[in-house]
Amino acid sequence: MRVVLDHITKKFGDFTAVSEFSAVLEDGELVSLLGPSGCGKSTLLNMLSGILPVSGGKIFFDDQDVTAMPPEKRGIGLVFQNYALYPHMTVMGNICFPLETQKVPKAERIERANEIARLVHVDMLMNRKPSELSGGQQQRVAIARALVKNPRLLLLDEPLSNLDARLRLEMREEIRRIQQRTGVTTIFVTHDQEEALSISDRIVLMRSGVLQQNDLPQRLYNEPANQFVADFLGNPPINNIPGTIQNGLFVTEDGIAEAKLPMLEGVENGRKVNLSVRSESFVLDANGPIACDVTRMYQMGKEEMAYLRMGGHDFRAYIDADAGLKAGDHVRLGLKKRGVFLFDRETGERIR
Amino acid sequence: MDTRKISRFFVYFFLTLGALIMLLPFFWMFSSAFKTTQEINRFPPQWLPSRLSLDNFKRAFEMAPFARYFMNSVIVMVCSVSITTFTTILAAFAFSRLRFPGRNVIFSLLLSLMMIPFEMLIITNYTTVVNLKIYDTLYALILPFTSSIFYTYILKNFFDSISDSLYWSARIDGSSNWRFLWKVMVPMARPSLMTIILLNGLASWNSFMWPMYVVVSKENRTLPWGLQVFTTEAGSYPELLMAASTVVVFPVVILFLFARKYIVRGVARGGLKG
Amino acid sequence: MKKKQTADRELGNRSFLSKIEPYLYLLPFAIGIAVFTLYPVINVVLMSFKEGYSHLSRNFDQWGLANYQTVINDPKFAQAIGNTLKYVLLVVPISTCIAVVVAYLLNQKLRCSALFQTAYFLPMVTSITAVGLAWKLMYNKNFGIINYLLSFIGVDKIPWLENAAWSIPALVIFGVWNILPFTIILLLSGLQNIDPQYYTAARVDGSKGLRIFLRITVPLLAPTIFLVCIVNTISCFKVFSELYPLFNGKPGPFNNLYTVVYYIRYAMMESRKYGIAAAAALILFLFIFAFTMVQLLLQKKAKKR
Repeated sequence: MRVVLDHITKKFGDFTAVSEFSAVLEDGELVSLLGPSGCGKSTLLNMLSGILPVSGGKIFFDDQDVTAMPPEKRGIGLVFQNYALYPHMTVMGNICFPLETQKVPKAERIERANEIARLVHVDMLMNRKPSELSGGQQQRVAIARALVKNPRLLLLDEPLSNLDARLRLEMREEIRRIQQRTGVTTIFVTHDQEEALSISDRIVLMRSGVLQQNDLPQRLYNEPANQFVADFLGNPPINNIPGTIQNGLFVTEDGIAEAKLPMLEGVENGRKVNLSVRSESFVLDANGPIACDVTRMYQMGKEEMAYLRMGGHDFRAYIDADAGLKAGDHVRLGLKKRGVFLFDRETGERIR
Repeated sequence: MDTRKISRFFVYFFLTLGALIMLLPFFWMFSSAFKTTQEINRFPPQWLPSRLSLDNFKRAFEMAPFARYFMNSVIVMVCSVSITTFTTILAAFAFSRLRFPGRNVIFSLLLSLMMIPFEMLIITNYTTVVNLKIYDTLYALILPFTSSIFYTYILKNFFDSISDSLYWSARIDGSSNWRFLWKVMVPMARPSLMTIILLNGLASWNSFMWPMYVVVSKENRTLPWGLQVFTTEAGSYPELLMAASTVVVFPVVILFLFARKYIVRGVARGGLKG
Repeated sequence: MKKKQTADRELGNRSFLSKIEPYLYLLPFAIGIAVFTLYPVINVVLMSFKEGYSHLSRNFDQWGLANYQTVINDPKFAQAIGNTLKYVLLVVPISTCIAVVVAYLLNQKLRCSALFQTAYFLPMVTSITAVGLAWKLMYNKNFGIINYLLSFIGVDKIPWLENAAWSIPALVIFGVWNILPFTIILLLSGLQNIDPQYYTAARVDGSKGLRIFLRITVPLLAPTIFLVCIVNTISCFKVFSELYPLFNGKPGPFNNLYTVVYYIRYAMMESRKYGIAAAAALILFLFIFAFTMVQLLLQKKAKKR
């Protein structure tokens, strides 16, 4: 099912939680709503589910205006952060509950419940109560309960944040697998950029209620729309070296170092910028434009991470271990094509 | 000398002494219920009856319709507790989950009403009962006790503690409020409900003052009041009186042995409403 | 997840049925409360100001304070207030002190705590009439077990229920016995809420037993003690059912234990002066209210220290 959000706004009194948010989510996509705490992503999810009424704008499910429709009529499945399993019912009872409400006959209920349970791998737990299940199992049951009624949209609110690190890895793959098997349009809310990057078809990044970028995961990574997007995605975080453009050169803020870079062509003089480079986008180059000193070296398996300083500003770069750098060395680095950006320091706008 | 052991001994000693004092009236009641008239009027008093015969009980039941009183008490208790539980569940749900204007204000007002002593309301309730033409019927004992602010408060607090997400989960599945209440909230509230039902049942069973006001004829008396009235008939036969008292007290004692934890917990929680 | 914000907007766009739904849920509850709580409160308050109120005709002479004047000037009422106050001021402190000690003892890790609990809590759930009659038998001057036990320490037979002077302790002892379970339960609960770390800290400081009890336990238990006093005061002001079985419905062997609730009852059932009864009931409520307020103020002051 195709979801269209048209200038959605949500205000709580004077506080604007979501501002003029527009996006199109295609049928069968797994979309993550990504952003830091308080960015409005859960608010947006709640408006999609109908739990929270919108202050402005419209929501369409497949050309049907559902903006004013109550949640029970929207045909959605929702998985809460705390799973919200009924503690006094068995797994079977929990999964059957939506079907009971729809007055599905008992035999069919059980069959559909078992089918979904098999899909999410809880079919051997049907007689247990939620308190007897592990976190990961509880979540599967919650997903099963949401899916058993064949919703046209599946919403997940921070599904993985209650799980420990290892389980998180496993479950996010499971979510991906289940979503692909059922083909249901799925939106899940998360603050973990790695999670979003690994399993989504599309990422919607938000900040303070405003949409930052809505794109394929790799494009957010490789073509960030603004400073915030570049900062948010990527581990380790992108390196920002502040400076100004003077006479076609990048000069660091304290005026000590400068670099001549082809990308600077056409940028006006005096503009305050951030030179943002991903750690993997540096190369050792004796003739490279970046002159810097090594402050520390860390060995991480096949690569080494060098802590470098250029004109008073520190940054990190992945350096080939064979290079034999040590602290105190003075090196020159070149920049790859990918992962290098120029942002306006004041507006965050991407210049290059 | 191990001071710990000494102090522990004293603890047990005093507690046991106190316990014996607390239990003395019950012991005396039960043992007297089986004594004969001579045994009761003996001095020094006889601790235990020589025989365990049910004669006193039989005679008490003959002299006053205790079977009838018992049944009335049961009927009144079952009816008023079940109706109250029903209204309490609905009202607690409304105050906890449903939205309506002035919800919090109304609830605070109700809480303040809790302070009003029943002794004050009797004046009007008595007249109301007469006007409704239910004076001297069991209805007079049931109808005024169909809702309780206190129990609603307790249950509402419990309902509040249930996470919102369960409600929304059910709503999204298309469940109505009614269905959610009875299929999810009520089963989850079983402990609280047990407490409420127990406390309510006890209050109803032991209720004395109100029946005294509104019930006159034999057929409609409940046990406590019937027991009190029996003092005239039993007159100089305290053993009969004790037999009758035992009948009133015994079911409660049995219940207490089983449900002690619930009752104690309920009283503690209710008392802390302060 | 907190979605309390849904309330405000949702009220707007809902069907008629869902708008009245809350009221339907409240209806059964509301009927009972309205008829037997709310209406009586208003009625009684108004009635107290209706001079010369006749409950038969519902007529009255005029609005005024005559009922209150009658009550206040009535020596019987003064007696009633006096007796009630005596009862409150005897039962509440005595029961509180005993209960604190018992609760403290019960709080130690004991074997057979279930047995002890049963013993101490049983009076709370049993009919006051039934146990009252048992006490009456125990108080019997000639054959009562109490006088028998007292004879072992050389005390002569006490005419508990026949003598005006002795009827007071007879009633008070019974009252304390009755109220003890509830008091102990609350205090026990309060005790269990005290963080055991305080005791450990005190023990590390070298304090022992009684010192810990007086300097640590009691002060930390203070809020609960206050609560217990307030609740018990309120219920002791309404003393009535305790008297009935002991003295066969009369307030004391020579009507000397006449209490406020008795006054109200007589005004209602015997003199049939409902206005007077209402005024007396309101005065009782005001007394309770005043006592509660004073205790709350004392509690606040104690907290500040």
